Amino acid sequence: MSVVQDLDCLVTHIEQVLPGVVRIVFDCPGISSVAAPGQFVQIESSSDVFPVTRRPITINLLTDSGFELLFDVIGRGTELLARMQPGDTARVLGPLGNGWMINPASNCLLIGGGLGAAGFQFLIDSVHSAEVLIGASGQERVIPFGACHVVTEDGSVGEKGLVTSLLSEEFFAEADVIAVCGPVAMMEAVWSIIPEKHQGKVQISTESRMGCGWGVCDGCSIPMLQGGYRKCCTEGPVFHGTEIDWKRWKEAGL
Amino acid sequence: MSFPPAVSRNFWGMELDSPIMLASGTAGFGEELLDLQCLSGVGAVVTKAVSFKPRAGNPPPRLLETKYGLLNSIGLANPGVYHVLKHILPVAAGLPCPFLINVAGESVSEFADVVSVLEDSSAHIGYEINVSCPNVAEGGAAFGVDPEVVLRVSEGVSRVTDRPFSVKLTPNGGDMVLSAKAAVEGGASAVTVCNTFLGMHIDWKTGKSVIKRKVAGYTSPALLPLVVARVWQVANAVSVPVISSGGVSTGEDVLQLLAAGASMVQVGTRLMRRPFAAAELMDEMKKLAGE
Repeated sequence: MSVVQDLDCLVTHIEQVLPGVVRIVFDCPGISSVAAPGQFVQIESSSDVFPVTRRPITINLLTDSGFELLFDVIGRGTELLARMQPGDTARVLGPLGNGWMINPASNCLLIGGGLGAAGFQFLIDSVHSAEVLIGASGQERVIPFGACHVVTEDGSVGEKGLVTSLLSEEFFAEADVIAVCGPVAMMEAVWSIIPEKHQGKVQISTESRMGCGWGVCDGCSIPMLQGGYRKCCTEGPVFHGTEIDWKRWKEAGL
Repeated sequence: MSFPPAVSRNFWGMELDSPIMLASGTAGFGEELLDLQCLSGVGAVVTKAVSFKPRAGNPPPRLLETKYGLLNSIGLANPGVYHVLKHILPVAAGLPCPFLINVAGESVSEFADVVSVLEDSSAHIGYEINVSCPNVAEGGAAFGVDPEVVLRVSEGVSRVTDRPFSVKLTPNGGDMVLSAKAAVEGGASAVTVCNTFLGMHIDWKTGKSVIKRKVAGYTSPALLPLVVARVWQVANAVSVPVISSGGVSTGEDVLQLLAAGASMVQVGTRLMRRPFAAAELMDEMKKLAGE
């Protein structure tokens, strides 16, 4: 039996942390007490019939009795979510999907692109050590973490460049797990640089347009190297880098 | 019929507490429903479509939510009839309610071929025959738009099974009443009205469709009046039960479809958003009945 629950969750805090990026905190021990890093929730952005689907968002970190999400405001659903106030409730289904394949002794190398890093804090909090490398277009897209290496395309934070410029054999060798999350093109660029001997450590947190989030609709397919597809929602969202058919995934133009 | 309509149903000889069926393609093959324990209020389940050979499905993106509904282009992804028979039906057999297997085909004979294989299982009560897929063997138009083709599909299935089956009609072309009559003439024990409406979303900046197959299946709460009209037309023309499919988001919608002549009411897109939709709709209907 699944631990997934569909609960009305109380908003305890909401703020804009970067332009168009919202941090929202829910009180929801029912979901946070069983959540693992890399898992996500499906949130109803309105009690109205529209939008007809929920919005899938990765859990960024756990609070004392709930969880925090960071999301980009990109369409009608996230606009509605961004308008929520403390004291409001939203229907939340979760925790969903399989998180990062880690253990408490793991030494992780985290490589994030822009808002792809929204979710890293929960992973950092769950492992022995974490080295964090972040690439973003500019300072308005850099999620604030404690200690991390940052580069930006416009040079507004850290060195000017892409996250791939931060990668080195030293980082790869010290890590048991290389966790990557960001836009598909960024993840593919990172994947193509990682030497073959380290590729087995690479885990990719995928994203897809999603219907249900609980495995029934088959709408969130990720192309697999062995042929066919696997579901982002219940078979992912985290996959081994070696499982993914990068060529077909890039063609999807997500 | 008396009004308001009764919620409990006699369907295909079964006494069911609920008129709600979970629509094909939104309920998987039952495993997730069992896992989430969201079967309260469910009268019956319809599985994902099963074809003879495995189908990987369409390239992503397979979904696009538009302002007032959802476009899908899943491509009937399924592991093929033999895998379903051996590995999936034993799990679905654990469902606490009856279930129908949705069957897809690319030729008139494929529907009967799939059903023949599935006859080795006793887990399911019957079938739903999806004649909305393209008749690849005969030009590519959907089987359902031509009553003569619907008749042949229906007769073919009748020959290989004694179990009841519903023919799931398409709203995209043809006369649904004529196709419904043809399905019944061929031996169908019900008709499902209807399938997704052909839809498309074009990015006006690039002129391109986001969905790779260009056109897709459209579902929306706003389709309710279109489904009510079609259910009413078909229910007045055939003697077998009509199963409605499409447009449901509230208990009131279910009651309206029953009043239009539906024997059972399928819930699809709403289920994707609300796994416990059946129980929620039943609660809403009970409240309405108390008023």
